[in-house]
Amino acid sequence: MTAKTWIMAALVVSVAVTFGTGCKRTKAKTGSGLGNGDLINGTGTAGDLTGLAGRDGFGGKIVDGQFPTVYFDFDSAQVKEGERAKVAQVAEYLKANAGATVVLSGHTDERGSQEYNTSLGENRALAVREALTQDGVDAARMQTRSMGEEQPKNPGHDEAAWSQNRRVEFQVLGSK
Amino acid sequence: MQNRRTLLALTLAALPLIAPAQEVWITKNTAAKFSVDLTELRASAGGGALFVQTLQNDLVRSGWFNIARPATFTVRGTAAAGAGMSAACELFDNSRNRALLNKAYNGTAAETRRLAHQAADDIVFAATGKKGMNGARLLLAGRMGGGKEIFLCDADGGNLRQITHDNSISLAPQWAPNGELFVYTSFRRNNFQEINLVDLRSNQRTVIAAYPGIDMTGGISPDGGSMLMTLSKDGNPDIYVQGLRGGAPIRLTKSIHAGQASPCWSPDGNAIAYVSDHSGQPQLYLMSRGGGGGKLLTSRGSQNVAPDWGSEGIAYCSRRGGRYVVCVINPATREDRQISPGDCDYEDPNWAPDGRHIFCTRTSGYRPTICMLDTMGDPPLALPLGSGDWTSPACTR
Repeated sequence: MTAKTWIMAALVVSVAVTFGTGCKRTKAKTGSGLGNGDLINGTGTAGDLTGLAGRDGFGGKIVDGQFPTVYFDFDSAQVKEGERAKVAQVAEYLKANAGATVVLSGHTDERGSQEYNTSLGENRALAVREALTQDGVDAARMQTRSMGEEQPKNPGHDEAAWSQNRRVEFQVLGSK
Repeated sequence: MQNRRTLLALTLAALPLIAPAQEVWITKNTAAKFSVDLTELRASAGGGALFVQTLQNDLVRSGWFNIARPATFTVRGTAAAGAGMSAACELFDNSRNRALLNKAYNGTAAETRRLAHQAADDIVFAATGKKGMNGARLLLAGRMGGGKEIFLCDADGGNLRQITHDNSISLAPQWAPNGELFVYTSFRRNNFQEINLVDLRSNQRTVIAAYPGIDMTGGISPDGGSMLMTLSKDGNPDIYVQGLRGGAPIRLTKSIHAGQASPCWSPDGNAIAYVSDHSGQPQLYLMSRGGGGGKLLTSRGSQNVAPDWGSEGIAYCSRRGGRYVVCVINPATREDRQISPGDCDYEDPNWAPDGRHIFCTRTSGYRPTICMLDTMGDPPLALPLGSGDWTSPACTR
């Protein structure tokens, strides 16, 4: 990352934080740091364990797996150059579909502390969210979520499996 | 003659620090032991035998005793099951020819094991002056099919029962000091995390934190009033503190492009240990309870995570030589010691109330189980929990 993009990223974060602290509970702002509620409300069921299949709390259709998964290096929350086009594709979709919102689910491989992996998964989702804001998507249309190491895509125990499990998945909500 | 002198020197070297000097010591495994004779504890069939068997296992598990005859200590008395359970135990110190303990243990038949745990802790205290760990209870996360639920069991793995039935993911249980309340992180709301407070006396559950982003539990303060958490509601996963019964969370760390995790309190409640990856790798830091100015605790190990701060130091998990090992560090002197063997991965350490043992997960062949480590040198002891993946041990203090 160049110094310029770091400064931009820092600006985005500081603007987001300033914006976030001004929000009251009654305002329905959403996003990782920007509001008071997750996009989806309601009681979890066993069906939710496999993802957000079905409908969201507003009755909107959830589209799962519509966009390719973004993968990460071990112990890293940096969006790799090679993965950046996947994020741009989601940004284009969100800009073309003003009513759509997106949940970014961060995951880690099984190695290391479960609690740290929850933070790492969240930071991966936040990194993708930041990339989407750089591409011009309103941060309030994005919600991050961390599954930590709890939902591996590949149940194996080698680097081939781990590399598939270090990821951020997109779940698009409220779209047509 | 030369041989005899060597033998004497070795025996002296094996003497533990806390014991009256005139006693006979037997060493088994690595740690030094007292010998104790239980043959004069008369048991009725059934419940009485269960009491004696549980007591004997507890005394061995405590690390301080070998069962032998003749012995330094003799436990005399009776254990009889009638309408309930009724036991009387005298601990006699044969080397000083006097009784150190004489106590009755009465309860229902269902309480037999609990009464034996209590007797074991009383005997440990009378003989060594140290707090026991057999009466402690453990919270665990257990994987059942696709989900994870919270379980409760005794320190020996007995009396296992399932507490949550959410058909979801439940993680990271943390006890309040009274051993009646605990918090855990639940994914039951559509996989968005929330922190639940459970009261085991009333079986009531209350959601006490459900902010946007992650809501991970941290330690509950020694006075039982506050709870540490990792939240990402303001940007990055940072450490916060909040009243256990509610109130607004107060932010203690402020990071950009870094993640924090696993906050815990010092025993006096004045300091907090936590994990941060702002250096590029997850490492342990200390800060005051008001937050700010985290100081790196150790630079040994490529990763250092999962701290638990007890009276004998900070137990934590370190990645060394391609393995996860459990270590204990003195936060004042930075003296650091590896506790677990290097045969497989040991993670998520949690102190037992005796300040000697540490519960942790032991992962072999990618199946995590719970085991108890001994900081005084006995080998790890597995808890007989049955099939399933068991993680996140949290022990009452």
